Amino acid sequence: MSVIRLNGVSKRYQTGAETIDALKHVDFHADRGEMVVVTGPSGSGKSTMLNMIGLLDTPTEGEIHLDGRDVTDFGEDDRTEERRSQLGFVFQNFHLLPMLTAEENVELPSMWDTDVDRRERAVDLLERVGLGDRLTHTPDELSGGQQQRFAIARSLINEPDILLADEPTGNLDQDTGETVLDEITRLKEEENIAVVSITHDEQLVEYADRVVRIVDGVVQ
Amino acid sequence: MGLTSLLRRFPSVLMAWRNLGRNRTRTALAVLGIVIGVIAIASLGMAGVALEQQATSSLGGLTDQATVSPGEDIDTDGITDTQVETIRDVAPATTVIPQKTNRTGLSARNGEEANVQVVGLENPAPLYDISVGDEPARLESGALISESTARTLGLEIGDPIEYDGQLYRVRGLIASDSGFGSDGGGELVLPLSALNSQEYYDSVTIIAEDGDAATEAANAIEAHFNGEDDETLSVTTYASVQEDITSFTDTLELALLGIGSISLFVASVAILNVMLMSTIERRGEIGVLRAVGVRRGEVLRMILTEAAFLGIVGGIIGAAGSLAVGGVIFYVLANDLALVLAWSSSRYLLYGFIFALVASVLSGIYPAWKAANESPVDALRGS
Repeated sequence: MSVIRLNGVSKRYQTGAETIDALKHVDFHADRGEMVVVTGPSGSGKSTMLNMIGLLDTPTEGEIHLDGRDVTDFGEDDRTEERRSQLGFVFQNFHLLPMLTAEENVELPSMWDTDVDRRERAVDLLERVGLGDRLTHTPDELSGGQQQRFAIARSLINEPDILLADEPTGNLDQDTGETVLDEITRLKEEENIAVVSITHDEQLVEYADRVVRIVDGVVQ
Repeated sequence: MGLTSLLRRFPSVLMAWRNLGRNRTRTALAVLGIVIGVIAIASLGMAGVALEQQATSSLGGLTDQATVSPGEDIDTDGITDTQVETIRDVAPATTVIPQKTNRTGLSARNGEEANVQVVGLENPAPLYDISVGDEPARLESGALISESTARTLGLEIGDPIEYDGQLYRVRGLIASDSGFGSDGGGELVLPLSALNSQEYYDSVTIIAEDGDAATEAANAIEAHFNGEDDETLSVTTYASVQEDITSFTDTLELALLGIGSISLFVASVAILNVMLMSTIERRGEIGVLRAVGVRRGEVLRMILTEAAFLGIVGGIIGAAGSLAVGGVIFYVLANDLALVLAWSSSRYLLYGFIFALVASVLSGIYPAWKAANESPVDALRGS
């Protein structure tokens, strides 16, 4: 069973008098242990699609199923709970909080759960991405590649089912990008999670188990 | 690491603390605004208290007293024993001290002379402050004399004074400043028996528990002795003067507090501005927090905690500064630094602190609410 599934999802935006169809009846799914790469030109609807999969936004039409449950009509608070427990996010600009140490950044999604101590998991994840010796560094003391590996550790802290990556190598050079992608691939298998990444980077496509192309809001 | 592991238990506090540390200048300026507001409120409040205390202490201990003297329509040449007994009955819970007065000239061996008022009474203790010597409950054959007169005449404790053919020994000196009732210049206090040649009392002093009780006793005495158009006994109280002073200083205190509140209001607008700016700057960051699953309530708490921190730190520094300013005020107005610690004035430190905390949290509500409720997609796009 697919861990995430979009059934006929459309998204329309109203800007002034103009209506923009960002997504048109998109069907999509991803399974555990699978890396799906969504490619397409700028403005094709990749980001909107990622926002749907990541429960950051709601569709105008269609259904979203997460782990077999219909989450289409979930309100903001319920979607937050799902993001917290089921989804991990990796961004192009890493988005680590500059005032927190690397370890604190990794624990961020679960920081408010004071009843569970995630420190062990955080240290374990950081050791697995090869940064066990950088726990107390702040993001500005780290290279881009290191920051992205921290962000990957952060995305996995709550043991999600899905890792969503928005241009994860977009701000990295070729070699560093390769290291990061190796890392993601390895963790995908170790943790048995689905990885959905959007990119227009050909390098990423080489790591994909499946490639989905989207043009003008339509999956090709 | 100790502090950090403690803070981990309070994630909102940890985040707020780190966030405030990011732009120290801005944080310091916001705190400074609160400090000024707290100092304005607390020290103006304390100034009002100091003014009131100073005014009250000028009145001395007179507010709880009433003085009865013969009225215009009295039949006798003074207040009779029977009338004194009646006063005791009419004003039961008070100390009633009948007095006979006279004037006399005293001459010393050194050739100096002094004209003094002679007061005869049984128990001088409630009425006079003794600066040197003891304060006898009964004078017997002793005398009290004003310090300044004693100095003029070269009298010391144990020296004899002659009045009406009798010798009295000086047992104590009356402190020169005991309220504005005693003129400080020349009083000789003798036992009542020394003025036995006078049949009637010249005045009766009533000492009550407090100003209200003194007024009550005075009213009772007036009601008993005086008719509508005739005044057997005339009663004077000082409590109404005290009331006037209190009501004036209360008004003054309110006006001063009002001025102080304006500055705290300005400070809270500054906090609103600082919090709004910093949440707008951190829009993308807050979007990330929301995207990775941090709840709206948690974001709200984090930002409110930041505002509360500003209030707490500003409040504490402001209270400390107010304590210093209050000390100066009390030293200048009441000549007593320690009075600033009395609850009547130190409570303004607490008020200032609470005001600061409340104003800061109130100012944080809007920015916190705005940040917490922005859609994560919009916030992320804005980064």
